[in-house]
Amino acid sequence: MTFALRRLLLTIPLLLAVSLIVFALSNSLPGDAADLRFEKQPQVKEEWREKRGLNDPFLVRWGVYLWGVCTSLDFGDSYLDDRPVGSDLMEKLQATFELTFFALLIAMTCGLLAGITSAIFPRTPLDYAVNVTALVGISMPVFWLGMMIIVVAVNFFGFAWSSNRVDPMLDTEHYATNLYVLESLLRGDWDVLRSATRNLLLPCIALATIPLAVITRMTRSAMLEESGRDYIRTAQAKGASGPRVVFRHALRNALIPIMTITGVQFGALMGGAVLTETVFNWPGLGRFIVDRGIGSRDTPVLVGGILLVATVFILTNLVVDLLYGVIDPRVRRASE
Amino acid sequence: MNRRQWLVLRSNKTALVGGGIVLCFALVAIFADLIATHDPELRQPDLLSPPNAEYVLGTDPNGFDVFSRLVYGTRSSLLTALAAVGLALLVGLPLGLVAGWRGGWVDSVIMRCVDVLLAFPAVLLAVAIAAALGEPSLTTVVIAVAVVLVPPFIRQVRAAVLQVKSLDYVTAARALGVPPARIVFRTVLPNCIAPILVVATLGIGIAILDAAGLSFLGLGPPETSPEWGVMLQKAMRYVQGEEQWIVLPPGIAISLTVLGFNLFGDGLRDAYDPRQSR
Repeated sequence: MTFALRRLLLTIPLLLAVSLIVFALSNSLPGDAADLRFEKQPQVKEEWREKRGLNDPFLVRWGVYLWGVCTSLDFGDSYLDDRPVGSDLMEKLQATFELTFFALLIAMTCGLLAGITSAIFPRTPLDYAVNVTALVGISMPVFWLGMMIIVVAVNFFGFAWSSNRVDPMLDTEHYATNLYVLESLLRGDWDVLRSATRNLLLPCIALATIPLAVITRMTRSAMLEESGRDYIRTAQAKGASGPRVVFRHALRNALIPIMTITGVQFGALMGGAVLTETVFNWPGLGRFIVDRGIGSRDTPVLVGGILLVATVFILTNLVVDLLYGVIDPRVRRASE
Repeated sequence: MNRRQWLVLRSNKTALVGGGIVLCFALVAIFADLIATHDPELRQPDLLSPPNAEYVLGTDPNGFDVFSRLVYGTRSSLLTALAAVGLALLVGLPLGLVAGWRGGWVDSVIMRCVDVLLAFPAVLLAVAIAAALGEPSLTTVVIAVAVVLVPPFIRQVRAAVLQVKSLDYVTAARALGVPPARIVFRTVLPNCIAPILVVATLGIGIAILDAAGLSFLGLGPPETSPEWGVMLQKAMRYVQGEEQWIVLPPGIAISLTVLGFNLFGDGLRDAYDPRQSR
């Protein structure tokens, strides 16, 4: 319990520091959307700035902003049209989450399998092939890979892919969330599910490649590290079956580094998905930040978006750290 | 690098392949003027011409010769990546050295700052910094990529220093009364060179990918400059059309170069740390 509590308390200053940096960064942006909006009326702009509290001291604005975010998820109003950006950000976050979640699911399943297989047969052609493929995987730019996937799927396999998340002919107005695959599954809405899965598939595969390669490499090296240990020999000597030694003994101990890297990958994907989202025209958070926040210089979108992604990243790492305690009693004991 | 390490490196096939790839691209970058068939920023009369005798890899939507842009893009990519890694080392090396050697509160302050920077997903951090630096150019790309590279560099250098610090020859030097500055620069640093070299080599690969990503998002040099990320950005609109072949060359060039640096970096690591090689 102390371990969990201490880890939890350490997260708060980190979040504060992160928000301060993002806020400071946004302060040094060269011009914002308001410059363009009130180009001809400097008077109106000054009144608008005063009303929005933009002339307050930096720390005051930071405090007010943090208070709004923490109490009511209020990420401020857009500089373009004065509408709150919070709901847009949440909607985009869900779209990115859906993409990332399924990408990571693919990456974890395939990565664990490939890594374990490779570690069971070290220095064989199979192991060699897995290694080279993984190395090529982390060397490719993900946006190029995305384009190649479109080229191959559309032109060679005639895969009918569209950049809409769900066929516009289907009725999704009443959906409560922006997580179409999960919600349609729960609702039993098969048409929407089919359409949503179909359009999710290609960006998902593209986004999965890098974590897949990373997890494969990590699984292989962690499993190899464990396979030389004494307890493995003991397990084999007492007659435990091959699969039992691999999955019950070796994998359980190898799981800690694998989990760390998977957690880091999830956070990195939430932020790094912007490249994949751009290629596949996926209406996610990363693209929203780049298009609206940077392209149209709508500062609240930039600040809120980056803050959201960084928070998800930090919280994922927190969850992974807490899970250590569950998987490995040594971690829990050490701090007690 | 001592004799044994050199022998290990020379007998490591992956390192040799990686080194060979890197060498090829370096030669292309150096002799770009001789290899390119056209001026990379001169519009040709044929737009989107398929590969032929005149234009080896065809022309792009602006009428630029793809092959020549690819060749000059090699120079631009390698220079950008080298500059970013150099800048990151310039900041990360002294900070890592100080954190590892001094320990105590200095170490705590530096490492907490590293933690905060690592709390941002790398790509998004680079995007935000590139945006904050104003008018997009190669310089903003270099700085943004360097900022992303610094935290892991500090960590690695610090870890290497901590490892060397505890060794007997450092204790011996201290016992002999050698001044600390001399121990750091004459004893500790030279023994940390190998891991730093590995991190830097792998860092070049990461820098090439990140720089291409930033250019691809339009946060890099203008679209007329011969740059791999920019070329892919232009090509994106043609993925589903007749002219899909223009997607291939820049992507293959990026992947091959990065693969070269990754292979070479892995080989270097095997050479200096045989325990990690399997």
